[in-house]
Amino acid sequence: MEATIEVVGVRKRFGGTTALDGMSFTVTPGQVTGFVGPNGAGKSTTMRVILDLDSADAGHAHVGGRPYRELRRPLEHVGSLLDAGALQPSRSARNHLRWLAHSQGLPASRVEEVIHLTGIASAARRRAGGFSLGMRQRLGIAAALLGDPPVLMLDEPFNGMDPEGIVWMRTFLRQKAAEGRAVLVSSHLMSELQDTADHLLVVGRGRVIADTSVAALIAAASGDRVCLRTTARTPAMTVLAAAGATVAATGADSLTVSGLAAAGVVAALNANDVPFTEVSPHRASLEEAYMELTREAVEFRAAGS
Amino acid sequence: MTNSIRAEWTKFRTVRGWVIGLLTAIPLTVLIGLLGPLGSSFDCAGPNGAQCRGNTPPIGPDGTPVFDTFYFVHRTLTGDGSVTARVGALRDAEPWAKAGLLLKEGTTSGSRYAAVLLTGGHGVRMQYDFTEDIAGPSPDEDRQWLRLTREGTTLTGETSSDGRRWSTVGTVRLDFGERVELGMFVSSPQHLETSNTFGGRLDRGAPTVATTSFDQVRTTGAAAEDWRGTAVGIDPAREHEVGFTDDGGDLTITGTGDIAPIPASAGSLGKTAENALVGAFAGLVAVLVVAALFATSEYRRGIIRTSFTANPRRGQLLAAKAVVVGGLSFVVGAVSSALALPLVERAELAEGFFQHPTTWLTELRLVLGTGLLFAVAAVLAVALGMFLRRGALTVTAVVVGVVLPYLLAVASVLPTGPAEVLVTVTPAAAFAIQQSVEEYPQVAASYTPADGYFPLSPTGGLVVLCGYAAVAVVLAAIATRRRDA
Amino acid sequence: MSALHAEWTKAWTVPGTAWLLAGVVTLTPLLGVLAASSMAEGGDPARTSLLGVTLGQAAVVGLAVATVSGEYGTGMIRTTLTAVPRRLAVLRAKAFLVCMLTVAGGTAAVGASVAAGDALLPEGLSIAQGPVLRAAVGSVLYLALVGLLGVGVAALVRDAATAVGLVLGLLFLTPIVASLVSDPDWRERLLEWSPMTAGLAVQATVDLGSQPIGPWQGLGVLAAWASAALLAGAAALRLRDAS
Repeated sequence: MEATIEVVGVRKRFGGTTALDGMSFTVTPGQVTGFVGPNGAGKSTTMRVILDLDSADAGHAHVGGRPYRELRRPLEHVGSLLDAGALQPSRSARNHLRWLAHSQGLPASRVEEVIHLTGIASAARRRAGGFSLGMRQRLGIAAALLGDPPVLMLDEPFNGMDPEGIVWMRTFLRQKAAEGRAVLVSSHLMSELQDTADHLLVVGRGRVIADTSVAALIAAASGDRVCLRTTARTPAMTVLAAAGATVAATGADSLTVSGLAAAGVVAALNANDVPFTEVSPHRASLEEAYMELTREAVEFRAAGS
Repeated sequence: MTNSIRAEWTKFRTVRGWVIGLLTAIPLTVLIGLLGPLGSSFDCAGPNGAQCRGNTPPIGPDGTPVFDTFYFVHRTLTGDGSVTARVGALRDAEPWAKAGLLLKEGTTSGSRYAAVLLTGGHGVRMQYDFTEDIAGPSPDEDRQWLRLTREGTTLTGETSSDGRRWSTVGTVRLDFGERVELGMFVSSPQHLETSNTFGGRLDRGAPTVATTSFDQVRTTGAAAEDWRGTAVGIDPAREHEVGFTDDGGDLTITGTGDIAPIPASAGSLGKTAENALVGAFAGLVAVLVVAALFATSEYRRGIIRTSFTANPRRGQLLAAKAVVVGGLSFVVGAVSSALALPLVERAELAEGFFQHPTTWLTELRLVLGTGLLFAVAAVLAVALGMFLRRGALTVTAVVVGVVLPYLLAVASVLPTGPAEVLVTVTPAAAFAIQQSVEEYPQVAASYTPADGYFPLSPTGGLVVLCGYAAVAVVLAAIATRRRDA
Repeated sequence: MSALHAEWTKAWTVPGTAWLLAGVVTLTPLLGVLAASSMAEGGDPARTSLLGVTLGQAAVVGLAVATVSGEYGTGMIRTTLTAVPRRLAVLRAKAFLVCMLTVAGGTAAVGASVAAGDALLPEGLSIAQGPVLRAAVGSVLYLALVGLLGVGVAALVRDAATAVGLVLGLLFLTPIVASLVSDPDWRERLLEWSPMTAGLAVQATVDLGSQPIGPWQGLGVLAAWASAALLAGAAALRLRDAS
């Protein structure tokens, strides 16, 4: 059994609220899997169930084929970062990593390794209470790396990071996946995952609503729509509507056409002498694709928007 | 499990506040212990500047401070010999008023002795060297025969109701010098009344005298001389109250005082080992705060999730915390009491107090016992902390549970009955492990928690605290297992 | 005034406050009932019935400390001080709130204790008697002052558990130390200056001469402790960064 995360039919209720409603997925090694969904969709709860911090009412979650609680040295199976703020403020970063290393019987030299890997060497002696959120995220990553695990699971690791940190984090995640590890990264902002994730798990209302590669998701969201740029917007709309297409204006000189392939659009415009400067297949952004998917799944919509 | 313990140890030692807090317990225990002697002195100057009697009592052969005050009618005995007499019952006397036959190394207070005697309310006894007491029959007759015999190093006390059929009360081996004083004595202790009500304690005492007759007196081996009367240890101001008359061999003796060990009590000037450990309360509070914080900070900061992720067998986290904090608290308790005992005792001696002596074995028990008390109480705090998850609540519960009952029971707030219940059923029972004073059934005194006497044995008291700690550990284990982290 | 209103809302929107107040109201008469029913004769009936104050004060300390330290534990203090930048106004509001809550809870607790004492003690206990009324009112004031002591110490040391340990240590340890000091002058001095024994002198209704200190002077001693703690807490709050 290859080391990975496997979640099967997990249900979890908190009082009257259903947090997880049949959550099922498998994380594949060698790629970054984005775990996305709006706030409250159940991402963190799923991660807590995987780590046996919360107990599932039904279903199960396995790491490397076994329940988390059966792992002897769990940090050597899965490295996780749930809450970067979970630190004793007066304890130094190095000492925080030390007690974690001791809990797994890992040598002190491993602490120094992860400190250098995550670039926190200069701050390692400082009390963790004085760390910025970005530094805490790095410290959390260092903790996740301690056991050199084949599986990494990070909850909102981009939160609070400066642009430089975000770039570092993306490179880091890609690199870990390239090393053959399974990497599960949650985020409520799809844009953060745009250039990072290979695969996506989109969740809403406690279940997976899309389990797909990034390329396939974008293709699906893009549909067979065509982007048209023209100075003669009104004649173009008339002509294309007559040709059986659905047309939407997206700007002063741009239209989106669906129901007619690019070749058909060009032919119809040429036949009626409507000028245009560009015809191209529409490519949706990941954000759009995601919004499309989660439209119904968003539970908490800001009032009036 | 070793990994968990190592991890918890690293967690503990890397938070400076906890280390400092725990170590503070040591100076706290010692310094507050020193407050006692430094804040105490007695200017017990009698009239004309004479030193008061009783400040430094005579010391018995084993170092115990003793009462050795009585009226002695005696002859000198060299070698073997015996004395026999018929002693009149002590009517309407103090229960521990004594009249009987005495063989003593000399007439100096505190010297060794053996006696067979009749008491006011506890029958015939054989007593020797102050702390030893053998019960004999309780006669109904008005007069009771007694005989005390020395043969080599063997002393035998016998009694008889008719002077013909004798029964042995006790036989002991005691090595006196060749020359001893042999004869009859009468003593009668202070009448003591302690009224102990809410918020106040009143000790009332008054000296008493007892008088009784000795007839058919016979000695063997003793010098054929007149009886000599000596008021041993009696205040010169009261010597006129005691004495004897010799009416042709029938003697009547009036005496006062007691021949017995001095039990430690709240009012006495003697210092006990537990006096030296009073600071342990402050030290214990410091230890409890640190132990509670060590447990509850996991919840306050959300570190508990990291801890459970590092080791999903949750019981091990609790066990490792208990081992680390319990072990450290044991060391702190033992070290602070090992420092406080000699330092405070030295300060007390320098201030002129006398010490109720303790054997090295008792001192060892006090040192290790204080360590255990700290350790078990700390485990209670850790477990309760894991259960309650709130630092302030945990500290309140543990301090109230451990210290308040002791305060109510010992600092003379409650009457004796409820006080004894409190130090039996609450975690404060564990302070019995710090009791060094011994209860002497042959001495009437106030043996209450306020005087330092616990109803439970040292280990019994500690077991009560262990019970509370065990319940808290079980609660915490169930809660941490069931609860989502 | 708005600061006080804010504190009031905060206090009632955390469950701890209600629990701790319930603790004061139940624990105090509970110990009083146990004491009164185990009491044979003699002694001070008012003091017996009000013995529970020694236990109830622990809940008051918890309440007072939670009101202040609770905010430091969660970082809420930054929000509070942003909303009400005059820090002393915040402390004043908290102190006043703790006072109000304690007086309310304490009145119920003391009332129940006196009623229990009247029912259980052989000689009864009437609040109509001047000294008994003084003991009852004094006990309520005692609890309020203990609450203020807690607020001050908590503002000074911030950590809740440490603050509770300090306050309970101060209250409980001085009588224990005093009971083991043999010099009468020193013992008297310790009892006079101990916040708990001096403060509880107000409960004495018989044999006033044997008390270490007069009833109202005793409360004065406790008030001095509370003021000192509040001043130190205020200074700390004023001078330190809120973190």
